[in-house]
Amino acid sequence: MSAPARKRGRILPREAGAAPLDVVIGVMAFLAALALGASLVADRAAEGWRAGLSGRLTVQVLPPEHGAPNPALAQETDAALAVLRSTDGVVHADEVSQEETLKLVEPWLGSGAVVADLPLPRLIDATLVPGARIDLATLTQRLKQAAPDSTLDDHSHWIARLKGVADAVIWSAYGILALIAIATASAVAFATRAGLEAHHDIVSLLHQMGARSGFIARAFEWHYLISALLAASVGGILAAAFFLAAGGLESVGIEPVPFLPPLSLQPAELGWLIVVPLSSAFIAWATARLSVLAALRRIY
Amino acid sequence: MVRFENVGMRYGPGPEVLRDVTFVLEAGSFTFLTGPSGAGKSTLLKLMFLAEPPSRGLVTLFGNDLATTKRSAFAALRRRIGVVFQDFRLLDHLSAFDNVALPLRLAGGRPDDYTQDVEELLGWVGLADRLHARPPTLSGGEQQRVAIARAVVARPDLLLADEPTGNVDAEIGQRLIRLFGELNRLGTTVLIATHDRSLIENARAREIRLVDGRLVEMRAART
Repeated sequence: MSAPARKRGRILPREAGAAPLDVVIGVMAFLAALALGASLVADRAAEGWRAGLSGRLTVQVLPPEHGAPNPALAQETDAALAVLRSTDGVVHADEVSQEETLKLVEPWLGSGAVVADLPLPRLIDATLVPGARIDLATLTQRLKQAAPDSTLDDHSHWIARLKGVADAVIWSAYGILALIAIATASAVAFATRAGLEAHHDIVSLLHQMGARSGFIARAFEWHYLISALLAASVGGILAAAFFLAAGGLESVGIEPVPFLPPLSLQPAELGWLIVVPLSSAFIAWATARLSVLAALRRIY
Repeated sequence: MVRFENVGMRYGPGPEVLRDVTFVLEAGSFTFLTGPSGAGKSTLLKLMFLAEPPSRGLVTLFGNDLATTKRSAFAALRRRIGVVFQDFRLLDHLSAFDNVALPLRLAGGRPDDYTQDVEELLGWVGLADRLHARPPTLSGGEQQRVAIARAVVARPDLLLADEPTGNVDAEIGQRLIRLFGELNRLGTTVLIATHDRSLIENARAREIRLVDGRLVEMRAART
Protein backbone atom coordinates (compact mmCIF):
# COMPACT_ATOMS: atom_id res chain seq x y z
CA MET A 1 0.00 0.00 0.00
CA SER A 2 1.43 3.36 -0.98
CA ALA A 3 1.97 6.10 1.56
CA PRO A 4 -0.56 8.94 1.47
CA ALA A 5 0.68 11.96 -0.49
CA ARG A 6 1.89 14.85 1.61
CA LYS A 7 1.11 18.51 1.20
CA ARG A 8 4.15 20.14 -0.30
CA GLY A 9 5.92 22.87 1.61
CA ARG A 10 6.31 26.33 0.07
CA ILE A 11 9.49 26.71 -1.93
CA LEU A 12 9.95 30.19 -0.47
CA PRO A 13 9.34 30.88 3.22
CA ARG A 14 6.66 33.38 4.12
CA GLU A 15 8.17 36.83 4.20
CA ALA A 16 7.75 38.75 7.40
CA GLY A 17 9.12 41.98 5.94
CA ALA A 18 6.71 42.39 3.01
CA ALA A 19 4.26 44.70 4.82
CA PRO A 20 5.82 47.96 3.54
CA LEU A 21 5.37 46.83 -0.07
CA ASP A 22 1.76 45.91 0.65
CA VAL A 23 1.19 49.40 2.05
CA VAL A 24 2.78 51.00 -1.02
CA ILE A 25 0.68 48.89 -3.38
CA GLY A 26 -2.46 49.60 -1.34
CA VAL A 27 -1.89 53.37 -1.47
CA MET A 28 -1.03 53.22 -5.18
CA ALA A 29 -4.21 51.26 -5.84
CA PHE A 30 -6.25 53.80 -3.86
CA LEU A 31 -4.83 56.67 -5.93
CA ALA A 32 -5.27 54.69 -9.15
CA ALA A 33 -8.90 53.99 -8.28
CA LEU A 34 -9.45 57.71 -7.58
CA ALA A 35 -7.92 58.60 -10.94
CA LEU A 36 -9.99 55.97 -12.71
CA GLY A 37 -13.13 57.19 -10.92
CA ALA A 38 -12.32 60.78 -11.89
CA SER A 39 -12.02 59.76 -15.53
CA LEU A 40 -15.40 58.02 -15.31
CA VAL A 41 -16.97 61.08 -13.68
CA ALA A 42 -15.49 63.35 -16.35
CA ASP A 43 -16.66 61.05 -19.13
CA ARG A 44 -20.18 60.94 -17.72
CA ALA A 45 -20.21 64.71 -17.22
CA ALA A 46 -19.06 65.32 -20.78
CA GLU A 47 -21.75 63.03 -22.08
CA GLY A 48 -24.32 64.80 -19.90
CA TRP A 49 -23.24 68.21 -21.11
CA ARG A 50 -23.29 67.08 -24.70
CA ALA A 51 -26.72 65.50 -24.34
CA GLY A 52 -28.01 68.60 -22.59
CA LEU A 53 -26.77 71.07 -25.17
CA SER A 54 -26.86 69.27 -28.47
CA GLY A 55 -30.19 69.16 -30.20
CA ARG A 56 -31.01 72.61 -28.92
CA LEU A 57 -30.69 76.16 -30.14
CA THR A 58 -30.68 79.38 -28.19
CA VAL A 59 -31.60 82.71 -29.72
CA GLN A 60 -30.67 85.85 -27.85
CA VAL A 61 -32.37 89.13 -28.68
CA LEU A 62 -29.89 91.65 -27.36
CA PRO A 63 -30.72 94.98 -25.78
CA PRO A 64 -28.70 97.97 -27.04
CA GLU A 65 -25.33 98.29 -25.29
CA HIS A 66 -25.78 102.03 -24.77
CA GLY A 67 -28.71 104.36 -24.44
CA ALA A 68 -32.36 103.67 -23.71
CA PRO A 69 -33.84 100.17 -23.79
CA ASN A 70 -35.10 99.07 -27.15
CA PRO A 71 -38.92 99.29 -27.00
CA ALA A 72 -39.14 96.88 -29.92
CA LEU A 73 -37.30 94.06 -28.05
CA ALA A 74 -40.55 92.22 -27.32
CA GLN A 75 -41.68 92.48 -30.94
CA GLU A 76 -38.30 91.23 -32.14
CA THR A 77 -38.55 88.31 -29.72
CA ASP A 78 -41.98 87.39 -31.02
CA ALA A 79 -40.74 87.66 -34.59
CA ALA A 80 -37.76 85.42 -33.85
CA LEU A 81 -40.10 82.92 -32.18
CA ALA A 82 -42.29 82.93 -35.26
CA VAL A 83 -39.29 82.26 -37.48
CA LEU A 84 -38.15 79.37 -35.30
CA ARG A 85 -41.58 77.82 -35.08
CA SER A 86 -41.89 77.92 -38.84
CA THR A 87 -38.55 76.24 -39.36
CA ASP A 88 -38.51 72.57 -40.31
CA GLY A 89 -36.80 70.46 -37.67
CA VAL A 90 -37.69 72.68 -34.74
CA VAL A 91 -39.98 70.80 -32.36
CA HIS A 92 -40.49 73.46 -29.82
CA ALA A 93 -39.47 77.06 -29.27
CA ASP A 94 -40.32 79.19 -26.29
CA GLU A 95 -39.11 82.32 -24.63
CA VAL A 96 -37.17 81.88 -21.41
CA SER A 97 -38.96 83.79 -18.68
CA GLN A 98 -37.39 86.77 -16.94
CA GLU A 99 -37.20 84.77 -13.68
CA GLU A 100 -35.36 81.93 -15.34
CA THR A 101 -32.97 84.34 -17.03
CA LEU A 102 -32.19 85.92 -13.66
CA LYS A 103 -31.52 82.47 -12.22
CA LEU A 104 -29.08 81.81 -15.00
CA VAL A 105 -26.99 84.89 -14.17
CA GLU A 106 -27.35 84.49 -10.42
CA PRO A 107 -24.12 82.44 -9.95
CA TRP A 108 -22.11 85.30 -11.48
CA LEU A 109 -24.05 88.46 -10.59
CA GLY A 110 -26.01 87.42 -7.53
CA SER A 111 -29.65 88.37 -7.04
CA GLY A 112 -31.46 91.52 -6.06
CA ALA A 113 -33.11 94.59 -7.42
CA VAL A 114 -29.95 95.88 -9.09
CA VAL A 115 -29.56 92.72 -11.12
CA ALA A 116 -33.24 92.75 -12.02
CA ASP A 117 -32.77 96.24 -13.51
CA LEU A 118 -29.94 95.15 -15.74
CA PRO A 119 -30.65 95.10 -19.47
CA LEU A 120 -30.68 91.38 -19.96
CA PRO A 121 -31.21 89.79 -23.36
CA ARG A 122 -34.39 88.00 -24.21
CA LEU A 123 -33.69 84.29 -24.59
CA ILE A 124 -35.48 81.77 -26.76
CA ASP A 125 -34.87 78.09 -26.16
CA ALA A 126 -35.59 75.84 -29.13
CA THR A 127 -35.61 72.07 -29.18
CA LEU A 128 -34.80 70.24 -32.37
CA VAL A 129 -36.04 66.98 -33.79
CA PRO A 130 -33.35 64.41 -32.83
CA GLY A 131 -30.89 64.15 -35.68
CA ALA A 132 -32.40 67.12 -37.55
CA ARG A 133 -29.98 68.99 -39.79
CA ILE A 134 -30.76 72.67 -39.88
CA ASP A 135 -29.10 75.12 -42.22
CA LEU A 136 -27.84 77.49 -39.54
CA ALA A 137 -26.63 80.13 -42.04
CA THR A 138 -30.08 80.43 -43.61
CA LEU A 139 -31.77 80.39 -40.23
CA THR A 140 -29.45 83.13 -38.97
CA GLN A 141 -30.23 85.21 -42.04
CA ARG A 142 -33.97 84.77 -41.57
CA LEU A 143 -33.70 85.66 -37.91
CA LYS A 144 -31.67 88.77 -38.69
CA GLN A 145 -34.33 89.88 -41.14
CA ALA A 146 -37.12 89.32 -38.63
CA ALA A 147 -35.21 90.44 -35.52
CA PRO A 148 -32.11 92.52 -36.32
CA ASP A 149 -30.82 92.33 -32.71
CA SER A 150 -30.96 88.53 -32.52
CA THR A 151 -28.05 86.10 -32.41
CA LEU A 152 -28.23 82.36 -32.88
CA ASP A 153 -26.23 79.94 -30.77
CA ASP A 154 -26.23 76.21 -31.50
CA HIS A 155 -23.88 75.55 -28.49
CA SER A 156 -21.32 73.78 -30.66
CA HIS A 157 -18.65 76.11 -29.32
CA TRP A 158 -19.54 75.21 -25.73
CA ILE A 159 -19.86 71.54 -26.47
CA ALA A 160 -16.39 71.58 -28.03
CA ARG A 161 -14.90 73.43 -25.05
CA LEU A 162 -16.57 71.20 -22.47
CA LYS A 163 -15.49 68.13 -24.40
CA GLY A 164 -11.99 69.53 -24.41
CA VAL A 165 -12.05 69.99 -20.64
CA ALA A 166 -13.49 66.51 -20.08
CA ASP A 167 -10.94 64.98 -22.44
CA ALA A 168 -8.15 66.78 -20.58
CA VAL A 169 -9.42 65.35 -17.28
CA ILE A 170 -9.76 61.87 -18.75
CA TRP A 171 -6.31 61.86 -20.34
CA SER A 172 -4.79 63.33 -17.19
CA ALA A 173 -6.36 60.47 -15.27
CA TYR A 174 -4.93 57.99 -17.75
CA GLY A 175 -1.54 59.65 -17.36
CA ILE A 176 -1.80 59.35 -13.58
CA LEU A 177 -2.79 55.70 -13.97
CA ALA A 178 0.26 55.10 -16.16
CA LEU A 179 2.52 56.80 -13.62
CA ILE A 180 1.00 54.73 -10.81
CA ALA A 181 1.52 51.56 -12.87
CA ILE A 182 5.17 52.49 -13.37
CA ALA A 183 5.60 53.30 -9.68
CA THR A 184 3.94 50.01 -8.69
CA ALA A 185 6.12 48.06 -11.08
CA SER A 186 9.21 49.82 -9.74
CA ALA A 187 8.24 49.06 -6.15
CA VAL A 188 7.65 45.40 -6.96
CA ALA A 189 10.90 45.18 -8.93
CA PHE A 190 12.73 46.66 -5.96
CA ALA A 191 11.01 44.27 -3.56
CA THR A 192 11.70 41.33 -5.85
CA ARG A 193 15.39 42.19 -5.96
CA ALA A 194 15.38 42.47 -2.17
CA GLY A 195 13.54 39.14 -2.02
CA LEU A 196 16.08 37.54 -4.32
CA GLU A 197 18.85 38.92 -2.17
CA ALA A 198 17.18 37.70 1.02
CA HIS A 199 16.57 34.26 -0.46
CA HIS A 200 19.79 34.07 -2.42
CA ASP A 201 20.75 30.77 -0.80
CA ILE A 202 17.46 29.16 -1.77
CA VAL A 203 17.49 30.54 -5.31
CA SER A 204 21.10 29.52 -5.76
CA LEU A 205 20.40 26.00 -4.51
CA LEU A 206 17.33 25.55 -6.69
CA HIS A 207 19.27 26.82 -9.68
CA GLN A 208 22.08 24.43 -8.81
CA MET A 209 19.71 21.51 -8.58
CA GLY A 210 18.47 22.17 -12.09
CA ALA A 211 15.28 24.08 -11.37
CA ARG A 212 14.00 25.71 -14.51
CA SER A 213 14.01 29.49 -14.39
CA GLY A 214 10.24 29.44 -14.72
CA PHE A 215 9.93 27.24 -11.62
CA ILE A 216 11.94 29.68 -9.51
CA ALA A 217 10.16 32.68 -11.03
CA ARG A 218 6.78 31.13 -10.20
CA ALA A 219 7.70 30.89 -6.53
CA PHE A 220 8.25 34.67 -6.50
CA GLU A 221 5.57 35.81 -8.93
CA TRP A 222 2.73 34.06 -7.11
CA HIS A 223 3.89 35.54 -3.83
CA TYR A 224 3.80 39.07 -5.25
CA LEU A 225 0.62 38.48 -7.24
CA ILE A 226 -1.32 37.41 -4.13
CA SER A 227 0.18 40.21 -2.02
CA ALA A 228 -0.60 42.84 -4.67
CA LEU A 229 -4.11 41.50 -5.22
CA LEU A 230 -4.93 41.70 -1.51
CA ALA A 231 -3.27 45.08 -0.93
CA ALA A 232 -4.73 46.65 -4.08
CA SER A 233 -8.17 45.29 -3.22
CA VAL A 234 -8.01 47.16 0.07
CA GLY A 235 -6.97 50.34 -1.79
CA GLY A 236 -9.74 49.85 -4.35
CA ILE A 237 -12.35 49.26 -1.65
CA LEU A 238 -11.29 52.44 0.14
CA ALA A 239 -11.59 54.40 -3.11
CA ALA A 240 -15.04 52.89 -3.74
CA ALA A 241 -16.00 53.93 -0.21
CA PHE A 242 -14.79 57.45 -1.01
CA PHE A 243 -17.03 57.67 -4.09
CA LEU A 244 -19.97 56.20 -2.18
CA ALA A 245 -19.41 58.73 0.60
CA ALA A 246 -19.34 61.52 -2.00
CA GLY A 247 -22.71 60.31 -3.26
CA GLY A 248 -23.95 60.11 0.31
CA LEU A 249 -23.05 63.74 0.96
CA GLU A 250 -25.17 64.81 -1.99
CA SER A 251 -28.06 62.67 -0.85
CA VAL A 252 -28.07 64.33 2.58
CA GLY A 253 -28.36 67.73 0.96
CA ILE A 254 -24.78 68.93 0.76
CA GLU A 255 -24.76 70.87 -2.50
CA PRO A 256 -22.24 69.94 -5.13
CA VAL A 257 -20.02 72.67 -6.52
CA PRO A 258 -21.96 74.53 -9.27
CA PHE A 259 -21.12 73.48 -12.84
CA LEU A 260 -18.99 70.59 -11.61
CA PRO A 261 -20.34 67.09 -11.97
CA PRO A 262 -21.16 65.10 -8.81
CA LEU A 263 -18.19 63.05 -7.61
CA SER A 264 -20.24 59.95 -6.91
CA LEU A 265 -20.08 56.93 -9.18
CA GLN A 266 -23.01 54.94 -10.51
CA PRO A 267 -23.11 51.25 -9.45
CA ALA A 268 -22.03 50.17 -12.95
CA GLU A 269 -19.13 52.62 -12.81
CA LEU A 270 -18.06 51.32 -9.39
CA GLY A 271 -17.65 47.94 -11.04
CA TRP A 272 -14.88 49.41 -13.16
CA LEU A 273 -12.78 49.90 -10.02
CA ILE A 274 -12.18 46.13 -9.91
CA VAL A 275 -9.81 46.77 -12.81
CA VAL A 276 -7.41 48.39 -10.32
CA PRO A 277 -6.60 45.35 -8.10
CA LEU A 278 -6.60 43.07 -11.14
CA SER A 279 -4.18 45.36 -12.97
CA SER A 280 -2.03 45.78 -9.86
CA ALA A 281 -1.83 42.01 -9.44
CA PHE A 282 -0.91 41.58 -13.11
CA ILE A 283 1.75 44.29 -12.91
CA ALA A 284 3.20 42.71 -9.76
CA TRP A 285 3.14 39.26 -11.35
CA ALA A 286 4.79 40.39 -14.57
CA THR A 287 7.36 42.58 -12.83
CA ALA A 288 8.34 39.88 -10.36
CA ARG A 289 8.64 37.31 -13.12
CA LEU A 290 10.75 39.51 -15.36
CA SER A 291 12.96 40.60 -12.44
CA VAL A 292 13.61 37.02 -11.34
CA LEU A 293 14.25 35.77 -14.86
CA ALA A 294 16.67 38.65 -15.46
CA ALA A 295 18.48 37.91 -12.19
CA LEU A 296 18.71 34.20 -13.00
CA ARG A 297 20.21 34.95 -16.40
CA ARG A 298 23.10 36.59 -14.58
CA ILE A 299 23.85 33.39 -12.65
CA TYR A 300 26.08 30.83 -14.44
CA MET B 1 30.48 10.83 -18.65
CA VAL B 2 32.87 13.58 -17.48
CA ARG B 3 35.99 14.75 -19.30
CA PHE B 4 38.39 17.49 -18.18
CA GLU B 5 41.17 18.57 -20.53
CA ASN B 6 43.80 21.08 -19.38
CA VAL B 7 41.27 22.80 -17.18
CA GLY B 8 42.39 25.83 -15.22
CA MET B 9 40.34 27.80 -12.74
CA ARG B 10 40.93 31.08 -10.96
CA TYR B 11 38.53 33.28 -9.01
CA GLY B 12 38.74 36.82 -10.34
CA PRO B 13 42.29 38.12 -10.60
CA GLY B 14 43.56 35.63 -7.98
CA PRO B 15 45.99 32.77 -8.53
CA GLU B 16 44.90 29.60 -10.31
CA VAL B 17 43.15 27.22 -7.96
CA LEU B 18 43.19 24.42 -10.52
CA ARG B 19 45.97 24.02 -13.09
CA ASP B 20 45.95 21.89 -16.20
CA VAL B 21 43.61 19.31 -14.71
CA THR B 22 42.96 16.43 -17.08
CA PHE B 23 40.96 13.31 -16.29
CA VAL B 24 37.99 11.24 -17.41
CA LEU B 25 35.20 9.72 -15.35
CA GLU B 26 33.81 6.77 -17.26
CA ALA B 27 30.09 6.07 -17.07
CA GLY B 28 29.29 3.81 -14.11
CA SER B 29 32.65 4.38 -12.41
CA PHE B 30 33.22 4.95 -8.69
CA THR B 31 36.01 7.40 -7.87
CA PHE B 32 37.44 9.03 -4.78
CA LEU B 33 38.84 12.54 -5.03
CA THR B 34 41.42 13.15 -2.35
CA GLY B 35 43.93 15.76 -1.39
CA PRO B 36 44.76 18.12 1.43
CA SER B 37 42.55 21.04 2.41
CA GLY B 38 42.86 23.89 -0.07
CA ALA B 39 44.03 21.59 -2.85
CA GLY B 40 41.06 22.53 -5.04
CA LYS B 41 38.71 19.58 -4.45
CA SER B 42 35.63 21.73 -3.85
CA THR B 43 36.47 23.92 -6.84
CA LEU B 44 36.79 20.84 -9.04
CA LEU B 45 33.38 19.65 -7.84
CA LYS B 46 31.90 23.12 -8.53
CA LEU B 47 33.07 22.88 -12.12
CA MET B 48 31.52 19.44 -12.38
CA PHE B 49 28.13 20.42 -11.02
CA LEU B 50 28.07 23.59 -13.14
CA ALA B 51 28.32 26.10 -10.34
CA GLU B 52 31.24 27.89 -12.01
CA PRO B 53 32.65 28.04 -15.52
CA PRO B 54 36.32 27.06 -15.94
CA SER B 55 38.79 29.86 -16.65
CA ARG B 56 40.35 27.75 -19.39
CA GLY B 57 40.36 24.25 -20.76
CA LEU B 58 37.66 21.90 -21.94
CA VAL B 59 34.94 20.38 -19.77
CA THR B 60 32.64 17.79 -21.32
CA LEU B 61 29.63 16.57 -19.37
CA PHE B 62 27.32 13.79 -20.58
CA GLY B 63 28.88 14.31 -24.01
CA ASN B 64 28.21 18.05 -24.00
CA ASP B 65 31.12 20.45 -24.43
CA LEU B 66 30.12 23.08 -21.87
CA ALA B 67 31.82 25.87 -23.80
CA THR B 68 29.44 25.37 -26.71
CA THR B 69 26.35 24.15 -24.85
CA LYS B 70 23.53 26.66 -24.57
CA ARG B 71 22.99 27.97 -21.07
CA SER B 72 19.31 27.12 -21.41
CA ALA B 73 20.34 23.44 -21.56
CA PHE B 74 22.26 23.59 -18.28
CA ALA B 75 19.18 23.10 -16.08
CA ALA B 76 18.52 19.72 -17.71
CA LEU B 77 22.16 18.74 -17.25
CA ARG B 78 22.09 19.79 -13.59
CA ARG B 79 19.02 17.63 -12.95
CA ARG B 80 21.10 14.62 -13.97
CA ILE B 81 23.58 15.37 -11.20
CA GLY B 82 23.08 14.69 -7.50
CA VAL B 83 25.25 16.75 -5.20
CA VAL B 84 26.03 16.29 -1.51
CA PHE B 85 27.33 19.68 -0.45
CA GLN B 86 29.91 19.91 2.30
CA ASP B 87 27.69 22.42 4.13
CA PHE B 88 24.56 20.36 3.24
CA ARG B 89 22.65 23.40 1.90
CA LEU B 90 19.28 22.20 3.17
CA LEU B 91 16.30 24.55 3.06
CA ASP B 92 15.62 25.40 6.69
CA HIS B 93 11.93 26.22 6.16
CA LEU B 94 11.19 22.82 4.64
CA SER B 95 10.82 19.52 6.46
CA ALA B 96 13.32 16.70 5.97
CA PHE B 97 10.73 15.05 3.72
CA ASP B 98 10.31 18.14 1.54
CA ASN B 99 14.06 18.67 1.34
CA VAL B 100 14.60 15.14 0.10
CA ALA B 101 11.65 15.36 -2.30
CA LEU B 102 12.96 18.58 -3.85
CA PRO B 103 14.78 17.02 -6.84
CA LEU B 104 11.68 14.99 -7.71
CA ARG B 105 9.56 18.09 -7.39
CA LEU B 106 11.93 20.04 -9.66
CA ALA B 107 11.65 17.23 -12.20
CA GLY B 108 7.89 17.73 -12.25
CA GLY B 109 6.94 14.86 -9.95
CA ARG B 110 3.74 14.91 -7.92
CA PRO B 111 3.51 13.97 -4.24
CA ASP B 112 1.37 10.95 -5.17
CA ASP B 113 4.26 9.60 -7.19
CA TYR B 114 7.15 10.12 -4.81
CA THR B 115 5.85 10.12 -1.23
CA GLN B 116 6.53 6.41 -0.68
CA ASP B 117 10.00 6.52 -2.25
CA VAL B 118 11.05 9.51 -0.17
CA GLU B 119 9.77 8.00 3.06
CA GLU B 120 11.51 4.70 2.35
CA LEU B 121 14.78 6.43 1.57
CA LEU B 122 14.62 8.53 4.73
CA GLY B 123 13.97 5.31 6.62
CA TRP B 124 17.00 3.72 4.98
CA VAL B 125 19.28 6.52 6.19
CA GLY B 126 17.81 6.15 9.69
CA LEU B 127 15.52 9.15 9.70
CA ALA B 128 12.11 7.49 9.51
CA ASP B 129 11.04 9.25 12.67
CA ARG B 130 12.33 12.68 11.57
CA LEU B 131 10.29 13.13 8.38
CA HIS B 132 8.66 16.32 9.60
CA ALA B 133 11.69 17.75 11.37
CA ARG B 134 13.18 20.91 9.95
CA PRO B 135 16.94 21.05 9.44
CA PRO B 136 17.66 23.47 12.32
CA THR B 137 16.26 20.89 14.72
CA LEU B 138 18.42 18.07 13.30
CA SER B 139 21.95 17.19 14.40
CA GLY B 140 24.85 17.64 11.98
CA GLY B 141 24.87 13.95 11.17
CA GLU B 142 21.12 13.90 10.57
CA GLN B 143 21.37 16.93 8.30
CA GLN B 144 24.12 15.17 6.37
CA ARG B 145 21.96 12.11 5.89
CA VAL B 146 19.07 14.28 4.65
CA ALA B 147 21.49 15.95 2.22
CA ILE B 148 22.66 12.55 0.97
CA ALA B 149 19.11 11.28 0.62
CA ARG B 150 18.26 14.41 -1.40
CA ALA B 151 21.26 13.83 -3.67
CA VAL B 152 20.39 10.22 -4.46
CA VAL B 153 16.58 10.22 -4.43
CA ALA B 154 16.22 10.95 -8.14
CA ARG B 155 18.81 8.29 -9.06
CA PRO B 156 21.09 10.77 -10.81
CA ASP B 157 23.43 9.82 -13.63
CA LEU B 158 26.29 11.46 -11.75
CA LEU B 159 26.64 11.72 -7.98
CA LEU B 160 29.14 14.21 -6.53
CA ALA B 161 29.70 14.22 -2.79
CA ASP B 162 31.91 16.61 -0.87
CA GLU B 163 33.00 15.02 2.44
CA PRO B 164 29.72 13.09 2.75
CA THR B 165 30.70 11.20 5.88
CA GLY B 166 32.37 14.03 7.76
CA ASN B 167 29.69 14.38 10.41
CA VAL B 168 28.57 10.79 10.95
CA ASP B 169 30.02 7.97 12.98
CA ALA B 170 31.94 5.13 11.31
CA GLU B 171 28.98 2.76 11.21
CA ILE B 172 26.68 5.28 9.52
CA GLY B 173 29.58 6.29 7.28
CA GLN B 174 29.99 2.72 6.01
CA ARG B 175 26.25 2.43 5.56
CA LEU B 176 26.21 5.59 3.44
CA ILE B 177 29.11 4.35 1.36
CA ARG B 178 27.12 1.13 0.79
CA LEU B 179 24.23 3.33 -0.36
CA PHE B 180 26.54 5.04 -2.84
CA GLY B 181 27.83 1.63 -3.95
CA GLU B 182 24.28 0.39 -4.48
CA LEU B 183 23.50 3.45 -6.54
CA ASN B 184 26.72 2.89 -8.50
CA ARG B 185 25.68 -0.68 -9.26
CA LEU B 186 22.42 0.70 -10.64
CA GLY B 187 24.43 2.79 -13.11
CA THR B 188 25.20 6.06 -11.37
CA THR B 189 28.70 7.44 -11.79
CA VAL B 190 29.98 8.38 -8.33
CA LEU B 191 32.72 10.80 -7.30
CA ILE B 192 33.37 11.31 -3.59
CA ALA B 193 35.72 13.97 -2.29
CA THR B 194 36.99 12.93 1.12
CA HIS B 195 39.80 13.07 3.64
CA ASP B 196 38.70 9.80 5.20
CA ARG B 197 41.45 7.29 4.31
CA SER B 198 39.56 4.41 5.91
CA LEU B 199 36.72 4.88 3.45
CA ILE B 200 39.15 4.85 0.57
CA GLU B 201 41.15 1.85 1.81
CA ASN B 202 38.01 -0.22 2.40
CA ALA B 203 36.75 0.46 -1.07
CA ARG B 204 38.28 -0.85 -4.24
CA ALA B 205 37.58 2.33 -6.11
CA ARG B 206 39.78 4.46 -8.25
CA GLU B 207 41.39 7.47 -6.57
CA ILE B 208 42.41 10.76 -8.09
CA ARG B 209 44.42 13.15 -5.96
CA LEU B 210 44.70 16.89 -6.09
CA VAL B 211 47.62 18.75 -4.59
CA ASP B 212 47.99 22.48 -4.91
CA GLY B 213 45.55 22.58 -7.81
CA ARG B 214 47.21 19.86 -9.84
CA LEU B 215 46.11 16.30 -10.38
CA VAL B 216 49.27 14.58 -9.20
CA GLU B 217 48.36 11.01 -8.47
CA MET B 218 45.83 8.53 -9.76
CA ARG B 219 45.13 5.03 -8.52
CA ALA B 220 43.15 2.65 -10.67
CA ALA B 221 40.23 0.73 -9.24
CA ARG B 222 41.29 -2.57 -7.69
CA THR B 223 39.53 -5.69 -8.80
